[in-house]
Amino acid sequence: MQLNINGQSQTVTTDPSTPLLWVLRDELNLTGTKFGCGIAACGACTVHVDGQPVRSCVMPVSAVASQKIRTIESLGTPDKPHPLQIAWIAEQVPQCGYCQSGMLMAAAALLDKNPQPSDADIDAAMTNLCRCGTYQRVRAAIHRAAAELKKGGAA
Amino acid sequence: MKRRTWILSALGATGALVVGWGAMPARSRLGSPELMLPTQGDVALNGWIKIAADGAVVLAMPRSEMGQGVHTALAMLVAEELDVPLERVRLEQAGADSIYGNVAMLVASLPFHPLDSEGEHKPTKIKLAEWMVGKIARELGINATGGSSSVADLWEPLRMAAATARASLVQAAAAAWKVPANEITVRDGVMQHASGQKAHYGQMGAAAAGSTPPNIAPKAREDWKLIGQRAARNDIPAKVTGQAQFGMDVRLPGLLFAAVRMNPVLGGAAAPMDTQAALALPGVSQVVALDAWGGGTGGFAVVATNTWQARQGAQAVKVQWPTPGASSGHQALDTTRIQADLLKALNTESGFTFHEQGLPLKAEQTAASRIDALYQAPYLAHATMEPMNCTARVLDGKVEVWVPTQVPQMARAMAAKVAGVKEDQVTVHVTLLGGGFGRRLEVDFVGQAVQVAMACKGAPVQLVWSREEDMTHDFYRPMHLAKFQASIDAQGEVSSLRIKSAGDAITPRWMARAAPHLSGPIDMPDKTTSEGLFDLPYGFLNQHMSHVATKSGVPVGFWRSVGHSHNAFFSESFIDELAVATKQDPLAFRLKLLKDAPRYAAVLQLAATQAGWGKPLPAGRAQGIALHKSFGAIVAQVAEVSVEQGQIRVHRVVCAIDCGTVVNPDTVAQQMQSSVVYALSAALYGQIDIVGGVVQQGNFPSYPMVTLSQAPTVETHIVPSTRHPAGVGEPAVPPLAPAVGNALFALTGKRQRALPLKP
Repeated sequence: MQLNINGQSQTVTTDPSTPLLWVLRDELNLTGTKFGCGIAACGACTVHVDGQPVRSCVMPVSAVASQKIRTIESLGTPDKPHPLQIAWIAEQVPQCGYCQSGMLMAAAALLDKNPQPSDADIDAAMTNLCRCGTYQRVRAAIHRAAAELKKGGAA
Repeated sequence: MKRRTWILSALGATGALVVGWGAMPARSRLGSPELMLPTQGDVALNGWIKIAADGAVVLAMPRSEMGQGVHTALAMLVAEELDVPLERVRLEQAGADSIYGNVAMLVASLPFHPLDSEGEHKPTKIKLAEWMVGKIARELGINATGGSSSVADLWEPLRMAAATARASLVQAAAAAWKVPANEITVRDGVMQHASGQKAHYGQMGAAAAGSTPPNIAPKAREDWKLIGQRAARNDIPAKVTGQAQFGMDVRLPGLLFAAVRMNPVLGGAAAPMDTQAALALPGVSQVVALDAWGGGTGGFAVVATNTWQARQGAQAVKVQWPTPGASSGHQALDTTRIQADLLKALNTESGFTFHEQGLPLKAEQTAASRIDALYQAPYLAHATMEPMNCTARVLDGKVEVWVPTQVPQMARAMAAKVAGVKEDQVTVHVTLLGGGFGRRLEVDFVGQAVQVAMACKGAPVQLVWSREEDMTHDFYRPMHLAKFQASIDAQGEVSSLRIKSAGDAITPRWMARAAPHLSGPIDMPDKTTSEGLFDLPYGFLNQHMSHVATKSGVPVGFWRSVGHSHNAFFSESFIDELAVATKQDPLAFRLKLLKDAPRYAAVLQLAATQAGWGKPLPAGRAQGIALHKSFGAIVAQVAEVSVEQGQIRVHRVVCAIDCGTVVNPDTVAQQMQSSVVYALSAALYGQIDIVGGVVQQGNFPSYPMVTLSQAPTVETHIVPSTRHPAGVGEPAVPPLAPAVGNALFALTGKRQRALPLKP
């Protein structure tokens, strides 16, 4: 099966019913996407499929074979970090950090769709669970990135 | 047994056994350079510090990073003393020598009343006991990350190690340049002399090795450049790019993956299996029966070429677990029955007295009125975001494990035991932890991974629990009950307070499974059962606090803030009840009782002032206040609460904290935010029920967490202090539930005496 992941074509041999999460982690060694609950309840496994935030732990890989998959590994590069990654560092968001890949991917999908989200927009889009309680800083960092985007044009 | 007798006898027994009563000075924790990993081009100056050829500083890191910011805080101490930028400090996992053991955590287990140490000078008896336990702890050298103790423990040893290294380097430069050492200045790791001589640390590393400069002292407080200033955490860049390596992210050539299914009955054993269908599935290579390691539960693991296949295999195994529910043993575990047992214990047993003063029973006889209340708190799971996992390889009599753990030496001991090798044949790689909260003070999953690896013929195997296995096979925060009896005199003041609590003691159960060689047949009284009840700061003249330690059979463990997590809810809610009963404002009532506890009063007042206590609030909102000391830090919180559409809503939590000297104020703020959210999830939703030995909650829908949209705004105000640093990872957890509960009372007039709270 051919997959388009982070702009690259990848051949995978896994059973088609395998959730995308395990293909990414165990077959392609893209371990930035995390396992948290296995039932799409926590969001730690969030990736983008054709720009939409998707919880990869319940998404059969066969269902996304023809779509563009984007993971945390390609959200930014060391030379050109995503505005959210810059904001995340400025606001010192992560603690244990385990849920943060999913948080960032959910936030990136939100800003793609809505570059100037209100608090209510953030509430609705950011349903990822975090046991360290980084929520307040997640909110602040999204607002910070949105403000930077407004100043500097599109990311 | 009385408290004093117990302390002395415990000290006598362990002290005489382990180190004798000799008055030898406490063992130095500087350590020799050989303790550090030899690496090309680096020069070790002691057991903590290496100097790299490029002048960078390599720090031996014995503590686990699980979100609390400890890797940054400890690196800051070293950067400060060596005058290098924080980003020039690299971390390397420390070895297993006893200098890396946690002394502060053990000293903190002494059940002294905190007010005894509030003054400028500690009483001799306390100093003596702390010295003795400290000495024992140094000998034992138990490396554990827990008890909010990392900075408190390493504050002196690390600064001394770095200051000593710096002096050696400066001395080496002075000798090379033939100038007096005190004329050399250091800036950003570069040594300089007015003569124009200049060298970075890397150029003097070899010359500095082996020297032992005398009379070293850490920098004076007024010379600090880093300590006390906001510093960016050193672990964050990797955590925003997906590059940070947690236990589950270990990838090795030929790595196999294992899924686990345990006996649904807590503590149950493996059972007969039909593995035919599982082994027929693609990718599945074998099924391994698992023993109940480390006080955990038995079951089996299925090994496959990826996690998903392993899970499919695990589901395909037909297994005959014993039917849950029985008259005795694990299958009889039932939270409803345990609750009744605790109540019975409260009413029929006298328990161990942790604190007494005055004559409370006499005060009760002359009381004008009495207030009694019964409080309770349920079992709780840790639910770290990263489920339990461990990667292991057993090859040619050597064992290697990669594990997110709070106790690397215990992981090593477990691996050695399972593989049947000596501990020095085991290498433990500590990864980042996707949350710890005390769950990773257990090593049950390490035993499982090594057992599976032994069946994998030298191939590495990564064993990962599902969320359901994680939630149903935890070591739970124990259920506790507490009975409060207060009397009010003719003047309308509280004249006595008696508290008796009941619940399982965690420490003896943990010792029995983690360090059986240190565990005896009789349980010592466990301070964690009564912390937050026996050590109240309030000046009640007549007090008696006791605890009845039960043995329910449920596997219980340390849960962020341990006994304080429930006892603060009990005590600070009841204090509020007393304020109401004596018709006093909850803040004024507390302040009046804190005349002999000025640090507590200052923290409480700061939170109240910053929260605008007593000022008008938006309609439908109310404030509640709570104060609690744990892990050396005093925290007060004011919670602003409403009930909207049948749901409790916490809008704002103002925290004030006195945690002694602050290393990184932003970490303090992070931990206040973290603790509030963690504690709020427990206060609003946290409850584990056990029926017939089986935990009923299995994943987040049945054990919910507070989400972003529900998270309150958390404000942090730090009381300036020059005291020894205390912990910050846990102390803001305990006051949250009572602050919210007290606010709900102010809002609704209904007192809630059980967790979780109800709208």
